[in-house]
Amino acid sequence: MRALQVLAGLLLLLLPQVVRSDFVLTIFIFTFILGVAAVSFNLIFGFTGQLSMFHAAAFGISAYVTQISMTRFAIPFWGSLGCAVLFVLVVSMIIGTICFRYRLKEFYFAVVTLAFAEMARLVVLNWNSVTNGSLGIALIDKPKLWLPGLGEFTLAGTSTWYYVGLTSLAFTLFVCRRVLNSWVGRCFGAIRLNDELASTLGINVFRYKLLAFAIGNAFAALAGVLYAWYIGYLEPDYLSIPQSLAFISMVLLGGSGSVVGPVVGALVLTALPHIIQLSAEARVMTYGAVLIFTILLLPKGIWGTAAVLLKRLPIAGRAKAAKSSAPSVELR
Amino acid sequence: MTQLILGQLINGVIVGTLYGIVAAGITLTFGITGIVNFALGAFMTLGAYMSWYLTDRVGLAFPLAVVLSLLATMVAGVVADQALFRHTRNNLINGLLVSIGLISVMEAGILMTWTATPQEMHFVLPGVLQVGGLVVPKMKGLVALILLAVVLGTYAALTRTWIGRAAFAYAQNPEAARLMGVRTRLLQSGVFVYSVGLAGLGGALYASLYSIDAGFGGTYVLKGIEAAILAGIGSVGGALIGGILLGVAEAIGSIFLPAAYKDAYGLVTLVLILLLKPAGLFGDRK
Repeated sequence: MRALQVLAGLLLLLLPQVVRSDFVLTIFIFTFILGVAAVSFNLIFGFTGQLSMFHAAAFGISAYVTQISMTRFAIPFWGSLGCAVLFVLVVSMIIGTICFRYRLKEFYFAVVTLAFAEMARLVVLNWNSVTNGSLGIALIDKPKLWLPGLGEFTLAGTSTWYYVGLTSLAFTLFVCRRVLNSWVGRCFGAIRLNDELASTLGINVFRYKLLAFAIGNAFAALAGVLYAWYIGYLEPDYLSIPQSLAFISMVLLGGSGSVVGPVVGALVLTALPHIIQLSAEARVMTYGAVLIFTILLLPKGIWGTAAVLLKRLPIAGRAKAAKSSAPSVELR
Repeated sequence: MTQLILGQLINGVIVGTLYGIVAAGITLTFGITGIVNFALGAFMTLGAYMSWYLTDRVGLAFPLAVVLSLLATMVAGVVADQALFRHTRNNLINGLLVSIGLISVMEAGILMTWTATPQEMHFVLPGVLQVGGLVVPKMKGLVALILLAVVLGTYAALTRTWIGRAAFAYAQNPEAARLMGVRTRLLQSGVFVYSVGLAGLGGALYASLYSIDAGFGGTYVLKGIEAAILAGIGSVGGALIGGILLGVAEAIGSIFLPAAYKDAYGLVTLVLILLLKPAGLFGDRK
């Protein structure tokens, strides 16, 4: 399994050297960036069991904060990104504290996070002097990035963005996997399965829910900034409910049971509209239909189903069986 | 100024009854069957477009058009229930997500059928009522009265008939209700379809008052949820009062506070009520 991962990583690293088509690379860039958001959403939803409707808001807020801090306070891109992530972290801590302190669950948690997301969208939509309202902001200047060893370079061009996206996704996957494989991840799993039981076992349910919510939103913030600057345009729709819905669809389609699953969902849902030419309405309809279809017929998602099928293969059978005897499987 | 406030008060009540009917649908499905149906807004939009289409394009009489659109939405409700929600009965989050997916499908379908151009129905019932210097269009008054009657009728049916007792019994203990001879599957589907019908009726009447577009139901379902939570989930009469309170608060609020943030008042109220009094204003159980 490890060898497969390394192989997949190498292939992705070398891809722009082999495939020169902007079309294909663009799909991958979108997949990477949206994958960051989807993977981090899954940390909150799939692993901790909290249906947050705030993900698109974190995604959009951070893009706006970055833009504001760059143009109004002339902070470089790197620093602005940091400010945005920090800002989103603080906001999610506040919202998370409110929700979890009052033990809002399931529907009520979804509704309250939705309410906060809508409030954020209304502010962005109506604060014309700063956000330019529904017209949005064109991000003309390409951000400059300074990296040790590489010096300063401009974030422009397909292959640059490809590597930026890939690095961000790899970083997100790495952090999420480390978190989930640690005792923190075990606590998340316990909370998802039964939070009352978890709290009687001495797990501080409030603290771990808040932690999952904060980490997830911080990565959504990263994704939002990358997405905005890659597209070069910012609008209040970044914070909209359909955007949250897109992340949910990616997670469910890919499979909410694994860390990598949502990336597959992101790939399919970004590639589909590019490969099949669809009108905007048909695209929305496809998203909805895919969401319904996955929930009813493919509850494990593509990745989860593939893993089950793989297990049945005679070659992989033994290694898998050895692994699945470990108790950690129960908690993912 | 008093004139303005009174006028807005009446407007608020009228919009509030529309919130109330959606809220009644939300509270019924959630309180009794445990399904959160966010797609009620989409069914409302469907009802609105049907009644607009049947009245303006086909040329049917408005009352007939309303009845037909009500039936059409209920048929759509039966299909949705049997094809989708029947499979998500015991999983709240899945049902919620399916209903969100259904919104996208229905809204996109409506956009493709009737385009994005907002549509406006011709005046069904022209003329105004003059009450002490206040001017209320007759149609608005009529719609508010119909919706009030429907919600109160629902409330009466729930509290005074055998079906209502069966529904409450089911809400408290599905297993026991089944053992007492309640046909639970029929009840679940019935409640679902009935709430869809409420939304469809609301939409069909809405079309005679305001211009309609494919997305308006989405706003109303949010308001409906706000009103239902404000009142306390499970209370049908409360849902109506919650809707009216919300409508009035928005209408009066937009006189004194920036109107652009009108939609935010309900959201703030929603958060506050959930934190301070989670059972709602009229709810008796948590």
